[in-house]
Amino acid sequence: MNATPMKVALFQCRWCLYSPEDQAWVDHNLPENIHLVKVPCTGRIDPLFILNAVQGGADGVMINGCLPEKCHFKEGNLAARRQLAEFGSFLDYIGYEQARVRFVWLDLQDRGRIQRELAAFERTLEQLGPAQALATRAPAATGGTHD
Amino acid sequence: MTELETKIRAEAERLLSEHLVDVVVAFRKEDAPLHPQPAFFTQVDELQDLVYNGLCANNLANYLTRHPQETRIGMVVRGCENRSVNALVVEKQHTRENLVLIGIPCEGILDWRHIVALTGENVLSVEENGESVCVHTRENTFAFSRVELLHPSCQRCLHPNPISADVLLGELKPEGDPELMRLRIEALENLTLEERNAWFRHEAERCIRCYACREACPMCYCTECFVDHTEPRWSESGVTPAGMQAWHIVRAFHQTGRCTSCGACERACPMDIQMTYLTDKLNLDMIDAYQFEVGMDTTTQPPFATLTLDDKNRFITRGK
Amino acid sequence: MAYRLPKKGLDQTLRAWAEQSKVFAPQKREGYAQFLPWKAGVELLLDEPHNTRFPPKAFLLPQSETLLTYNRKLNQLETPTLQISPRIIFGIRPCDAHAVALLDTVFATQENPDPYWRARREQTILIGVGCNQPATTCFCTSVGSSPFDHAGLDAIFTDIGEAYLVETFTERGEALFAGLPQAEANDEGQARSIQQQAEAGLTPAFATDNLKDHLDQIFDSSLWNEFAQSCLGCGICTFLCPTCFCFDIVDEAQRDERVRNWDTCMFRIYSLEASGHNPRPSRAERTRQRLMHKFSYWIEHANQFGCTGCGRCVRYCPVGLDIRAMLRKAAATPSEVVHAN
Repeated sequence: MNATPMKVALFQCRWCLYSPEDQAWVDHNLPENIHLVKVPCTGRIDPLFILNAVQGGADGVMINGCLPEKCHFKEGNLAARRQLAEFGSFLDYIGYEQARVRFVWLDLQDRGRIQRELAAFERTLEQLGPAQALATRAPAATGGTHD
Repeated sequence: MTELETKIRAEAERLLSEHLVDVVVAFRKEDAPLHPQPAFFTQVDELQDLVYNGLCANNLANYLTRHPQETRIGMVVRGCENRSVNALVVEKQHTRENLVLIGIPCEGILDWRHIVALTGENVLSVEENGESVCVHTRENTFAFSRVELLHPSCQRCLHPNPISADVLLGELKPEGDPELMRLRIEALENLTLEERNAWFRHEAERCIRCYACREACPMCYCTECFVDHTEPRWSESGVTPAGMQAWHIVRAFHQTGRCTSCGACERACPMDIQMTYLTDKLNLDMIDAYQFEVGMDTTTQPPFATLTLDDKNRFITRGK
Repeated sequence: MAYRLPKKGLDQTLRAWAEQSKVFAPQKREGYAQFLPWKAGVELLLDEPHNTRFPPKAFLLPQSETLLTYNRKLNQLETPTLQISPRIIFGIRPCDAHAVALLDTVFATQENPDPYWRARREQTILIGVGCNQPATTCFCTSVGSSPFDHAGLDAIFTDIGEAYLVETFTERGEALFAGLPQAEANDEGQARSIQQQAEAGLTPAFATDNLKDHLDQIFDSSLWNEFAQSCLGCGICTFLCPTCFCFDIVDEAQRDERVRNWDTCMFRIYSLEASGHNPRPSRAERTRQRLMHKFSYWIEHANQFGCTGCGRCVRYCPVGLDIRAMLRKAAATPSEVVHAN
């Protein structure tokens, strides 16, 4: 077990957790290393959101949404699939491993699955180690590079 | 004046004098010997300044979005510019009926940077003669073959011929080899993760955020770019590593399925940053996943503007 | 004072300097000249007719710089303590050094000095190398400078074949060359003739008589629209300019820092106001601003042009907008033709 747990940005579509217990757990009992961003639909997730999470120091990004034909807004999740899948592989192309960006589609029967998925994702991230490939927003050294 | 220039001028003169267009967008000779300037001709007697040669490095489709839809524009287009125009028409940035495209099969753009690197800064004039190019500098005269001076994007060019021009001037050129672009990107994809990352960081770290790549690109026509947003702020504003990387990542990604690989961004960059390795990769992905090539017609929506239920599930995990 | 430094002795001189301070000198990397830290054995680009691509103003006015950090919880501000080591910039061209002298009138005034600029300026020694053969894009003599201009420099080198003639202008410049043999009369004579020859090689690029007044009179001309038509609106001309100093102060709220970044009048958001109103709404006003600032407002401010003729904007403009040609066109625009907007 690593001393510092991996930082995870969790983007959650507010309609995808069907069980109130799961939603309550996400809303109130998430471990500190998981940063929750609730969105009205995965279709709302601009690639910029993911980039911001990555540049904010996320070691991994997990996106939870509804199954293809179960989108509250009919096809927001399909739009998200096209863009975000490509964005994930684009980040991989420039050095942020594909495995660090994970999509999870949840269904009615998936009670309790979110905890298992998060745990599995964290294990994956622990194997990969902290993300260091892309620059993060960090206090810059004072002034120019020539001082 | 070359034969081709005579033909372009004659065509521009016809369009203007018969009032078929309000403005002809082409290039004119300016004082800078390596940079013919995008020019806007509204009068027949101005057309004596019109030039066309291998140094015309800008993508003229860039100027399409500066005009209202009602403006009837005559535009000199090469293969890439024609496809940029098509892509802009798909995105409803202009009405195709209000455009007259004067198509020119393209011999490829000469890379002014490469010329300067080979001959020194003091270039006085460049003479093109078919496949040979003669560069006169203050001190010397150099002879090159056209191929060795071509801009890298033009070396990999797939469609040098305008595909939907209204008037076609000059001989059609053979189509390019699609493997060239693919080989370059695959070579990069086959590097290790660390090597790809090092390559990206190396290119991004020279950025001075002048946004010449954005301004030179016909597809970057947003009224407000994401880097100009202040509330919320999407990326760091300065030349910090995170800020520069955010710019390169998002600029390229916004071009997915929209970039025609014309290379105008690289030709404009003052710091010689390679950028097409990002956009070409995204374009190839679009070709492979959705069989979509940018600007081949004026109706097909780019992949990110449309969706289907049976898209390939790439990295999505489903219930066990 | 004038000294003679044989070219063979340059390496030893630089080595001695490098023991006491950071030394930067023009070297080729990524295919173009840049000021990089000098190390023994590196190849210097001193003969090339052209200049470094990125202007050395960045040594004194970094493109991005943290002015202060804040802590929102404790309600505290903290200004960073500047730790600037002594630096020698060797091989700076006279146009770029002249630009530093111009910027001193902005950032190092008696009444309102900029502490960040001043701290760096005090630690920076500028040793120039004059231009025996100015490039075709150079026009320093047209704007009141010259290929061997002294302004802003602590010392200047003149290439006289086997050796350099070193002329010093300040005490700290003088101190760097103590121990070198004094120049002989014929060295100086040779240098003067090289300097005159270089200067004579540059023909006036545009008329400067009455330029300010004329520009003021054609403020409302349609000429600016003509330039703006082809202008891309990128920041190349201003970011590569050695005298452009506009900056924007931004709060990087996500990392609790107040940052100063270079800004450019060519950007739409440069003069955009919070209300949404933009006094320079189109590229025409913005291209006009660039020229007016350099050739009119600078005269009001310091009685000098805000341009030193380095030619970077001419070389790197992606649409070939040559500032010399623009000024010639401006001069040819009759002042009575005033277009009401």
